[in-house]
Amino acid sequence: MDNEKREASIEYILARGLTAPPRARRIVRELLCDLGPRFIFWDTAYGVVFGLLTLAPLLAITALAPETLRYSVATAVAPSLFLIITVFAETAERFGGLYELKQTCRYTAAQVTALRVMCYSLAGIVYSAVVTLLCFEEGFEFASLLSLCLSALFVCAALSLFVLRRLHGRWTGALFAAAWAFVNIAAPYGLGEGWERFLSGLPIAVSAAVALAGAAAFAYQTRKMLTEGRSYAVA
Amino acid sequence: MLSLDRVTKKYGDFTALQDISIDFSDGVHALLAPNGAGKTTLIKMLTTLIFPTKGEILWNGDEIVKLDAAYRALIGYLPQDFGYYRNRSPREFLHYMSAVKRIDCRTAKRRTDELLETVGLAEVRDKKMKKFSGGMIQRVGIAQAMLNDPKILILDEPTAGLDPKERVRFRNLISALSKDRIVILSTHIVSDIETIANRVILFKDHRLFANDAPAAICATLAGKVYETDAFDAIPASCLVLTERRDESRTITRFMSESDCTDAAKRVAPNLEDVFLCIYRDEVIA
Repeated sequence: MDNEKREASIEYILARGLTAPPRARRIVRELLCDLGPRFIFWDTAYGVVFGLLTLAPLLAITALAPETLRYSVATAVAPSLFLIITVFAETAERFGGLYELKQTCRYTAAQVTALRVMCYSLAGIVYSAVVTLLCFEEGFEFASLLSLCLSALFVCAALSLFVLRRLHGRWTGALFAAAWAFVNIAAPYGLGEGWERFLSGLPIAVSAAVALAGAAAFAYQTRKMLTEGRSYAVA
Repeated sequence: MLSLDRVTKKYGDFTALQDISIDFSDGVHALLAPNGAGKTTLIKMLTTLIFPTKGEILWNGDEIVKLDAAYRALIGYLPQDFGYYRNRSPREFLHYMSAVKRIDCRTAKRRTDELLETVGLAEVRDKKMKKFSGGMIQRVGIAQAMLNDPKILILDEPTAGLDPKERVRFRNLISALSKDRIVILSTHIVSDIETIANRVILFKDHRLFANDAPAAICATLAGKVYETDAFDAIPASCLVLTERRDESRTITRFMSESDCTDAAKRVAPNLEDVFLCIYRDEVIA
């Protein structure tokens, strides 16, 4: 590169200035300020209501589960609030006919989805605690059961965001939920008591480490969804 | 200026667009081609919904993907299948769209009222959209696209499904909105753009075929288009373009490379003639 070209390049860079890439935290703050709860959850009421309705039988199953399956049921049911609301709300969004248009706006549908999913995950944490309390009886270790539930929640949340980011089909969320449910039902059936023994025998340090790793992966996926330009592509 | 620099888009082995270079400046740019020619692919790349496989799209020299939110703040988009919230009023919908376009509350209210007035929906601003006709929904669509006073207005088949009266109304609206901004309009209906387009862009075999003023494009057939009411007198080598009834006669319009003034009257070519000539295989198929 000759001096003249080098000078021209430097001039060009200086003229444009250096702008830092947007940070996820700033985007979240702006989204909260500019949209507010009304527009963040705009038209997701049907999804949330249907999601909550399907949770009633799940909670009943949890409460009535035999003692020999408490860990299996708790870990299977803990992510259900997050999963069901996310799937109902986001599948409805993708079928809504406005998804493409919203992806071209200043705040994309993917960014608003990321924020909603963060809210759902907070609700999921509370729900996991409720599930743990429902399963908790004498002889069970509360902290161990709770960390297992949170591990299931965060691993599920991180995986679902990964799938939503990578696959842009309308049924992506629903198919992921079906696959997750299948694995969680198949594991205790397929492995029998072995699966329950494995879960109950897991040291609390391990399950807490998995929960933390899951939470970190979920935070990473959320950050990507908020900041990554290409994640809002529809195809 | 918005520029496409040797843009190619592939879906697996299928090439939707090959090596397209176009500069868009203020005015109406009409993408005219039959269905499946790649118009929507180009529109989706311009709106950052998909990305080029090769080449780049630049806004004032910067790649639009890198501009990210700053670029999206510049565009207004009306997609081909414009979904809407059936149980919301146009005013509620426009307020929501203003929020996701990051328009402050006060400006959003003012722009919403102005735009509903402009598109002739002021009287039904608080009615639920489920009672609206296709034309009214499209007008809500154009209003939402104009909310942020975009520098680039992108309309994908905006007149599809509209009756003739609505189409004329829509044309006039686009013409009025095209001042001081780039309007990119895709259509396969020639009459939609004949009178309002500054530039007509034609694709053939997934490549750029022409990008010129309508008059210049029509001039490519100058002296080659004829009309006659004697269908049998038309030489077999000619391409029949259209037929129309004129009182009791049927007037046939055709294109011929050789002089046919002995059998027919030479007429000025129009954009539809050019369209039918270029896409003769696709249109017949």
